[in-house]
Amino acid sequence: MITTGFRQLFDRFNHGLWPCAIIIGHTLLGTFLVYSTPRSSLAFLALVSSFFSLYYFKADTRFKIVAGVLLALVVIPVVGVRNIFYLEVIFQICVFAALALGLNIVVGFAGLLDLGYVAFYAVGAYLWAFFGSQQFYVLHFAPGTQPSNLPFLLPGDAFYLFMFLAIIVAAITGVFLGLPVLRLRGDYLAIVTLGFGEVIRVLANNLDKPLNFTNGPQGITPIQRPTMPEPLVDSFNNVFGSLIGHQASIADMYNVMFYFLALAMIIVIIFVTRRIDDSKIGRAWTAVREDETAAIAMGIPLVRMKLAAFAMGASFAGVMGVLLAASRTFISPESFSFMQSIGVLTMVILGGSGSIPGAILGAATVTLLNLQILQGFSLYLSELRQSDAVIPLINFAWRDLSTQLDPAKYQRLLFGLILILMMIFRPGGLIPAKRRKRRLAGEEAVTEQ
Amino acid sequence: MALLETINVMKVFGGLTAINKVNFQLEPGRIVSIIGPNGAGKTTFFNTLTGIYSPDGGEINFNGRSLVGLRPDQIAARGISRTFQNIRLFGEMSVVENILVGMHVHLRQSPLATLLHLRKFKAEEAEAENKAVKLMQYVGLRGVGNELAKNLPYGAQRRLEIARALAADPLLLLLDEPAAGMNPQETEDVTRLFRSIRDDRGITILLIEHDMRVVMNISEHICVMDYGEKIAEGTPAEIRSNPRVIEAYLGRGAVAGQHEEKLI
Amino acid sequence: MNRFLQSINARELIRPLGQMVVFSLGSAIVLSSIVLTLALGLDQTAVGLALQDKYNVSLYTYTLVNLPQVVIDGLTIGFVYAAIALGYTMVYGVLEFINFAHSEIFAVGAFVGVEILIALDHSGLLRSASLGMSYVLLTFAIISGMVAAGALAVTVERVAYRPLRGASRLVPLISAIGVSFLLQDLIRLVEGLTTGDFNRIFPSFGNFDQRLNFGKLALGETTINLGISIKSIIVIVAAMLMLMGLNYLVNATRIGKAIRAVAQDRPTASLMGINVNRIISITFLVGGLLGGAAGVLYALKFTRIDPFVGFFPGLKAFAAAVLGGIGNLTGALLGGIVLGMLETFAGSYMGVFTMGAAGSEYKDIFAFSILILVLIFRPQGLMGENVGQKA
Repeated sequence: MITTGFRQLFDRFNHGLWPCAIIIGHTLLGTFLVYSTPRSSLAFLALVSSFFSLYYFKADTRFKIVAGVLLALVVIPVVGVRNIFYLEVIFQICVFAALALGLNIVVGFAGLLDLGYVAFYAVGAYLWAFFGSQQFYVLHFAPGTQPSNLPFLLPGDAFYLFMFLAIIVAAITGVFLGLPVLRLRGDYLAIVTLGFGEVIRVLANNLDKPLNFTNGPQGITPIQRPTMPEPLVDSFNNVFGSLIGHQASIADMYNVMFYFLALAMIIVIIFVTRRIDDSKIGRAWTAVREDETAAIAMGIPLVRMKLAAFAMGASFAGVMGVLLAASRTFISPESFSFMQSIGVLTMVILGGSGSIPGAILGAATVTLLNLQILQGFSLYLSELRQSDAVIPLINFAWRDLSTQLDPAKYQRLLFGLILILMMIFRPGGLIPAKRRKRRLAGEEAVTEQ
Repeated sequence: MALLETINVMKVFGGLTAINKVNFQLEPGRIVSIIGPNGAGKTTFFNTLTGIYSPDGGEINFNGRSLVGLRPDQIAARGISRTFQNIRLFGEMSVVENILVGMHVHLRQSPLATLLHLRKFKAEEAEAENKAVKLMQYVGLRGVGNELAKNLPYGAQRRLEIARALAADPLLLLLDEPAAGMNPQETEDVTRLFRSIRDDRGITILLIEHDMRVVMNISEHICVMDYGEKIAEGTPAEIRSNPRVIEAYLGRGAVAGQHEEKLI
Repeated sequence: MNRFLQSINARELIRPLGQMVVFSLGSAIVLSSIVLTLALGLDQTAVGLALQDKYNVSLYTYTLVNLPQVVIDGLTIGFVYAAIALGYTMVYGVLEFINFAHSEIFAVGAFVGVEILIALDHSGLLRSASLGMSYVLLTFAIISGMVAAGALAVTVERVAYRPLRGASRLVPLISAIGVSFLLQDLIRLVEGLTTGDFNRIFPSFGNFDQRLNFGKLALGETTINLGISIKSIIVIVAAMLMLMGLNYLVNATRIGKAIRAVAQDRPTASLMGINVNRIISITFLVGGLLGGAAGVLYALKFTRIDPFVGFFPGLKAFAAAVLGGIGNLTGALLGGIVLGMLETFAGSYMGVFTMGAAGSEYKDIFAFSILILVLIFRPQGLMGENVGQKA
């Protein structure tokens, strides 16, 4: 009942000039709110959600593109540099969106449940972490014992080369891991990929001997970033300095740069994914997901198609790993736990398995829930702890609440609840995947007769 | 030369011999039926031909080359298409897409052309789409190209499965109980369709069927299986009067001739 | 009384006992001879010399001296794995579904048992308990853990799996992963709110920490201590009793017959008047009971537990179930024992044999390697039958 009412309301405003007005209004409102109230979750939600009114309302494509470009390339960087916390959140959303889009190919399109997806993310991250740091000269030192004045192996600008290398290396890793196990039935595959994920993590933790490749649990740091040209910083400050209110530092500009890179990767991934999905490979993936026996009887080579999906998903994760290593300048095995894999899976399932806008919505929602809602709840609890407040009926003083109870750390609870509820009540996700409607010329001619 | 030839093909599950030394020859351009009681090994025979099971002995030659050891997708690429006893469509895909999947082996689509939407990619897709619509209409489906396969009524699903199998331009079409669950009118329609597939497209048809009206109506040759063995072979008239066949169907003691009309 | 005794199918009690003895002895003998041969072979190489330099002991002697303890540790953990693996294998046999949350069922059992003992400890009951009383209290803790875990398993099935029974395979599996994560954090939440501490320690009481010494075996210049801790005996005996009970339930009772019927052919079983939902609930209950008991036994053996304690034992037990042949009860038993032994042997000796390059830190992923190898080369497991895929 509520949904139909909402639908009607939505339809009433979804024609003519209304959409343009709503999109502009939404964006301006969000920008204004973020501008006037730094660090407010709600204001930030208002701004981020304007991407979705951009997606949902029917408007001229050219208008949408211009609005989207302005929002992504001007509004967000300016607001982000003004308050770097927002830029960090947006960057994380972008990274996870890219990962979710990659996993979506494996889980959503090909129907292969990969529970160790961050293993490929780790491969990319450690690839650049090793070659983009001093680690090569640390090989013969145990963690913590190396001299402090070691040189770097490669210049920071090799980063761009390694983004391409990571695609290849991660894809090869995907093929190498996938080859023996992709014959297995779906549920076994899930457990085996989980195992591979753990193997990669344990290796990252322990390959500090006999040769120190990964520096063990301490992780690798510092990892280089590509160079940032001074003139770029200056011109950014000249144009936007007055809007931002202070001079952007080089560190700020690096954040903007990595945000742009992540955004560019998302666009590339969406482009590639859509093109592939709309070809014989994409159809073969869906066919394999729907019915393996029928697919193979139609001449589709099962293992090769599954490998293609596996390798493609892996390569996207590999690139994002390189990006992560450079943006953080620090990498440790902790970032690549099983929980991270399930986190990305949760994003895919929440948004809608097989759905591109779904994966992005899922990534945004889960990241915001994590960073804003859970942490906001944590802050609220710690304020309560410091106050004299008492829960009325049971006479419980907030001060006595255990300090171990930190909602920010309850991501598993969040992931678990989302997974169960989505499976039971909305297995298609928030934005279920839609098949493209074809304009079938020959068919219409016949029906008209 | 025979299009398809099996020599002493065996398939064993645990202690059960599902197919026992079946020798079978299929001349090109024919419509041939395999009949036999439930559990006679007919579907297992199909699954062995299409590579879902690998034979435990014997030879299978198709179009002059051996199929033994090939994967199902390789066998499909050699020109054998099939339908399934319990319809196996890709339910979440549209009708046209189901047929396009059938064309998989014939579409070239290099990765580069796919990514950049080069002209040859677009032309090939458009041509495939056209062909798919024509196939749809050929099997009697109209105006449902964008419907999801799972939403089609039963009879239409059976037809779509046939269209999907034809999309691969096969030399040999294997139909596993294609008329099961159909009413007499539908049965008559698909029977006509089968004949047209052979007459107009020159595709050889091998079918498993329980409906004797269909079998006797369109088969030029019938092969009877029981307990995994081929017990008889011949024209419909020969099969109708073969005492071993009647025994297999009606049990020991049934006299040839007396129950003839039941078999027909 | 006499009639009751007659109605007991003695064969179904003796058979599993024999199997357990054979599996234990077999894997112990095979693995011992492998490491001893390896030790003999490597004694005069760099590996042996490095050890000689460091501890002034030959590789062969080192291996031999540690062997009895390694075997006992391997058996202890092996029986724990077997008890968990049975939960996976029973559910898989009936529903063809990997109950991913089984590892947390195990963890909940462990927490309930340990919390009860900690409460008893605080009330002073544990310290004043006589030896006999301490065994009674331990039994009570195990049974409480079993009941809690069994009830939880049934609830989880009812709430999170049953509504999804008609859906495609991956749907209930994803739901199960969700349940697993949810339960981990719920344990953490409850522990955080009530005790403020996630790491719980099994209180020490009774004589469980003592060792029984059977004397020394003199072999030339070296002497080998033959002994076993009482903990290990309790774990092994308790697990054996449960496994025998389960085997009896499945193979010699009406309920067991119904479970087997549902596992073979659910629609037909339902037509024969078997209440399929009830049998599935019973299957989860039995798996949960075994998992809960295994949890308390695990806590007894390893003392420290935390909310994520189920993860690795759960995965390894699953690997064990696959190794033995999933869906096969005897296979789960064999897989558990073999995997526990393999892992303990690898954890104990790999470090020495590879001169410290790879040691017990790789123990946790050892089970995965076995799982992957089994799935590639013998997917039906050691005892499973090769079942062709239905077309």
